[in-house]
Amino acid sequence: MTMAQAVTTTPRWLLESQVGLCSCGRNGLRRKTGFVEKTITGSTGLVRTVLRSDDIAASSGLMQSIDERIKLISIVLMLVAVSFVRHASLLLAAYAVTLVFAHLSQIPLRFFVKRVWLFIPIFTGIVVLPATLNVITDGRIVVPLGTVFGHRLGITSQGLQAAALIVSRVALSISLVVLLTLTTAWSRLLSALRSLFVPRIFIVILGMAYRYIFQLLDVTDEMYVARKARTVKADRASASGRRFVAATAGSLFGKSNELAQEVHQAMVARCWRGNARTLASRRISMRDVLWFGGCVFVALVVLVIDRSLGG
Amino acid sequence: MADEVFGVEHVSYSYLGRIMALDDVSLTINRGETVAFVGANGSGKSTMLKVLDGLVYPDSGQVRAFDQLMTEQSLEDDQMIEMFRSRVGFIFQNSDAQVFSPTVREEVAFGPLNMGLDSSEVSRRVDDVLNMLDLSTLSARAPYQLSGGQKKRVAIASVLVMNPEVLLFDEPTAGLDPRSQRWLVELIVELARSGKTIVIATHDLETLPILANRCVVFGEDHRIAADGPTVAILDDVELLRSVNLIHDHVHRHDGTWHVHEHEPDHHF
Repeated sequence: MTMAQAVTTTPRWLLESQVGLCSCGRNGLRRKTGFVEKTITGSTGLVRTVLRSDDIAASSGLMQSIDERIKLISIVLMLVAVSFVRHASLLLAAYAVTLVFAHLSQIPLRFFVKRVWLFIPIFTGIVVLPATLNVITDGRIVVPLGTVFGHRLGITSQGLQAAALIVSRVALSISLVVLLTLTTAWSRLLSALRSLFVPRIFIVILGMAYRYIFQLLDVTDEMYVARKARTVKADRASASGRRFVAATAGSLFGKSNELAQEVHQAMVARCWRGNARTLASRRISMRDVLWFGGCVFVALVVLVIDRSLGG
Repeated sequence: MADEVFGVEHVSYSYLGRIMALDDVSLTINRGETVAFVGANGSGKSTMLKVLDGLVYPDSGQVRAFDQLMTEQSLEDDQMIEMFRSRVGFIFQNSDAQVFSPTVREEVAFGPLNMGLDSSEVSRRVDDVLNMLDLSTLSARAPYQLSGGQKKRVAIASVLVMNPEVLLFDEPTAGLDPRSQRWLVELIVELARSGKTIVIATHDLETLPILANRCVVFGEDHRIAADGPTVAILDDVELLRSVNLIHDHVHRHDGTWHVHEHEPDHHF
């Protein structure tokens, strides 16, 4: 018996070279991207977006220099004010101001606008569409749509005004929130929640959940790449894709459970006894006070103008 | 007894009551010792570290730490747990499990904050440790933005900031590039020289003579196969082979391991 035989049981075929299953070269048939690959690519896109947001939050723009607690409270204040405004024109004017602030905070305008307007037509648009019809909002029909059961159906000018008001309010609210989230690192935003009396333990759990999302995305990505690396034949059946998703979900559940136990041990090993403690926050500066005062002033001015416009 | 840090007597432990990890293990670790637990995968060395750190409790047998009996009940006592956790630090093999906070700075501050130190002291210690481990520029980074070596450094910083007198390392050099491995070995040697008690679970035989004076060998039967000076253990090729730490083609001459290649005509 040779030395190799003594320590391994390698089958003979594994030590012989093997010609590929089909000849090298292309046959012109292309495989379409399946839903699994699209989802995994989407998760990579999410990480890319988060990294870009982190870069913006770390830059030295106007809003980045404001204390996160002051910024959070002032944005909440502005959101409350926006909900009381009844004129779409005023809301659009305020929206233009958010664009200026985005520019001063070194947020690429295209990125900012896209982030706000991408979902509005999908979600708000569908919700407000029926409100433009005369069956919901009575008024002067400006776009007749025909007759249903002997009744005229059309889009009314009052309905359009109501829809414009809702869409502009949503757009402005989202813009304010996006301004806040893009100019504040997620970890700081979480710690700022303390100023809104959110319990510490809730903030700690949120922070850990956010931290481990990336870990689990990595694991998912690795599992998919491992499967892809061993996929020789083009697999067009979505059933195998579904099986893979189910297996991945099960495996991820097991891994996250294991990780959770280890994280808990790591916390216990460093004196964790169930009381969340966080680092002391920065001191409020004069710039923060001026920012807050400015926000209160702008909110009041917007509300006064709105009342003076009547309606 | 005065110099004893850990006393382990007839400890057995099994996962889920069926997967044996430790079987009738007894050992003593004294103050200032550098001890390595070596053994093949699954031999129980990592579990032994967790038992020593009071993270899992033995099914039978007993563990003493600093002359105090360690049980689930005793580690629920406020004074006991405060004393124990501030004196013993554990560096996990999986840095991803240990680095759980949103940023590096918060991670390093976690231990001292939970020890109840005031915030100015916590900030001072965090700054010092970040500087020492060359992590200052990464302090605002999220864990997913760190490399494996950087995560390991953060994990070590998060324990060193508590200034424990005993450090438990689980596979410290696993998965690190050669430069990070060297850095870590030098750090452990420096910590050992400063008088800290170091216990390392490893199967990295190359760095063993540098890292530990004493070696506890765990067999695949989850029992202690040998306990003695590192050099003597490493010279006992029969022992290392019997616990599956080396195979027939590895030999040690003059303190260095040699791997003997197969001759092509030896195959089949």
